[in-house]
Amino acid sequence: MPAHMLGRTALPLFVACAVVAFGASDTRADETCQSPYMPKITGEEEFVYVWTLGIKGLGDGFDKVVTIDVRKDSPTFGKVVDVDSVGGRHEAHHGGFTDDRRHFWVAGLSDSKIFIFDVATDPSNPKLVKTIDDFTEKSGGIVGPHGAYALPGRVMISGLSNTARDGRTGLVEYSNEGEYIATHWMPTAESTQGAEVEKIADGYGYDARVLPRKNVMLTSSFTGFDNYMRPLGELVQDAEAMKRFGQTMVLWDFHARKPKKVFHVPGVPLEVRWAWGPHNNYAFTSTALTSKLWLVYEDAGTWKAKEVADIGDPSKLPLPVDISLSADDRMLFVDTFMDGMTRVFDVSDPHKPKQIYEKKIGSQVNMVSQSWDGRRVYFTSSLLANWDKTGSDDEQFLKAYHWTGSELTPRFEIDFRAEKLGRPHLMRFGSASLYTN
Amino acid sequence: MYRHALRAGLLIASLAWAPGMVAAHDGHAHGSPQPAPSTGYAYPLARPGTYALPAIKRAAGGSVLDEQGHRRDLADILRGRITVLAFIYTRCGDVCPTASMQLAALRDIAGRDLRGADRLQLISMSFDPDHDTPTVMAEHARQWRDGGRGPRWLFVTAPDRERLAPILSAYGQSVMPQPGPPGGPNLLAHILRVFLVDRSGMVRNIYSIDFLDPQLVLNDVRTLLLQEGRSPAPEARLR
Repeated sequence: MPAHMLGRTALPLFVACAVVAFGASDTRADETCQSPYMPKITGEEEFVYVWTLGIKGLGDGFDKVVTIDVRKDSPTFGKVVDVDSVGGRHEAHHGGFTDDRRHFWVAGLSDSKIFIFDVATDPSNPKLVKTIDDFTEKSGGIVGPHGAYALPGRVMISGLSNTARDGRTGLVEYSNEGEYIATHWMPTAESTQGAEVEKIADGYGYDARVLPRKNVMLTSSFTGFDNYMRPLGELVQDAEAMKRFGQTMVLWDFHARKPKKVFHVPGVPLEVRWAWGPHNNYAFTSTALTSKLWLVYEDAGTWKAKEVADIGDPSKLPLPVDISLSADDRMLFVDTFMDGMTRVFDVSDPHKPKQIYEKKIGSQVNMVSQSWDGRRVYFTSSLLANWDKTGSDDEQFLKAYHWTGSELTPRFEIDFRAEKLGRPHLMRFGSASLYTN
Repeated sequence: MYRHALRAGLLIASLAWAPGMVAAHDGHAHGSPQPAPSTGYAYPLARPGTYALPAIKRAAGGSVLDEQGHRRDLADILRGRITVLAFIYTRCGDVCPTASMQLAALRDIAGRDLRGADRLQLISMSFDPDHDTPTVMAEHARQWRDGGRGPRWLFVTAPDRERLAPILSAYGQSVMPQPGPPGGPNLLAHILRVFLVDRSGMVRNIYSIDFLDPQLVLNDVRTLLLQEGRSPAPEARLR
């Protein structure tokens, strides 16, 4: 680099600024399952936003964002402090913040509506500011908007299906203002889009996560509308339908938005969690139907995928759902829906995970979110309206715990049925400190 | 595809990158000081023209002051050139100098390698009008721009906060006061955003510090130039 590019005073200035910034760094806390493009919360999280699926006849019966106060000195600690119904039931599922963390996007899998909440004006009281109701039309036929993943000035939404309801899907980009930008279809056998295919390119989608420093995005795969909206008990009896589940993960050139490699990961790989360490070029996922932990990793410049551990007893179909990797990349929480368990794996050696702890959270459990310092962990119960258990096993809760490093100890819990709220699913953390400093 | 070089400047950036700097702004902080990224921007890049840069939104205008203190409309400055627009402030303690260094590198590479470099411009716009007067911006420009060669690089600021606010809002650039070091001035917390704007005034890419790689941005510029070569000039399409 020519010397003039730094300017005559630039380098000393640059180093000096870095020192100042270093000194200003302090304790930070945040859930670990977020986009790396977002700012982090300083101190403990203050609120947990829960995207909740309405239950007919329970309260207003509508999908809603439920805000829970988790400020430890607050008189309303552990209580619901705000409820924002969006009207109707939309199969509330996932969502996420924009990169400036000012807006919370949540989506419905059944009618493909996306609801955008302002969480910056008053973090204790989110407000619905926009509804996107033409997602399918704008995207060219994608249905089932799933995650909302922050990119600079944009949101990446992974779809689950299409208007044919068979599961071929893609990624859809919107501006932070809620305007459609582009659709990127998943590679299929008919259209691999130039990607190297290990065994099959099935076109299903689920999660999408980016490792910026490697310019790679990793996507996973689930199933189509006809399957995810169908009662689980009925679905598992349909052998043909059970063949229509994802068995691939796709590695993308993120900048170009082009698929590079389609890994064969049988058994429905769901959540993708990149490691955080600056030298840790790998991601974990769990496969729902085969109950395995998989590792996608870079090996001498080549990206590979391999299974690295069983989750519980795969023969009993515990159905791994959400996973959460600690900020230091040493602990991986794995929730299994059917037995209501969370299991903690020591993944210090990502190639050889070892289970070190397990605890039954409830009759069913789905999502898990942990704070950045790893000391607080939150669980919710619902998977999908038609897949949740029935009768007394259909517990609906948020449970909060302390994690000591070796044990979960209770902090508080909220019974979403008793509170007439519905089925709690995705959790995201909020704090006024993000907007006031 | 090819593997581009890890530049000396990026090594410097990596050193400074490590602990709190990205923490405050770009979401790569992970609670405690971390070693520098292992590879910087050393990843393969797609060839220019082999990928799409769909329009994201219209790039807003607004009243700004140039280095001579002349009032201009940002939209007028943007018109007719491909622009790389960075929002910065001169007292920034972390990512702004990194961004300026990357823009300087981009300018240098473009000056040497880009056919049609006169169709590209760089703009650094301050969001700190209380401090960053045209005089301050001119001095800042002297540090970063003067002595180099390449496409024009303008340093502008807003006349005041009132006129700044709608510009920041239109670009989605949030800025918040943040206490500085004891006895020192307050700082401004922000997420670094740099915008690639085409000649018709549409935002075509938005870069965080992760992707403010001069070679990557130049590939995007080349992609826009290639698209322009295959279609009528953007100005003509607008009529």
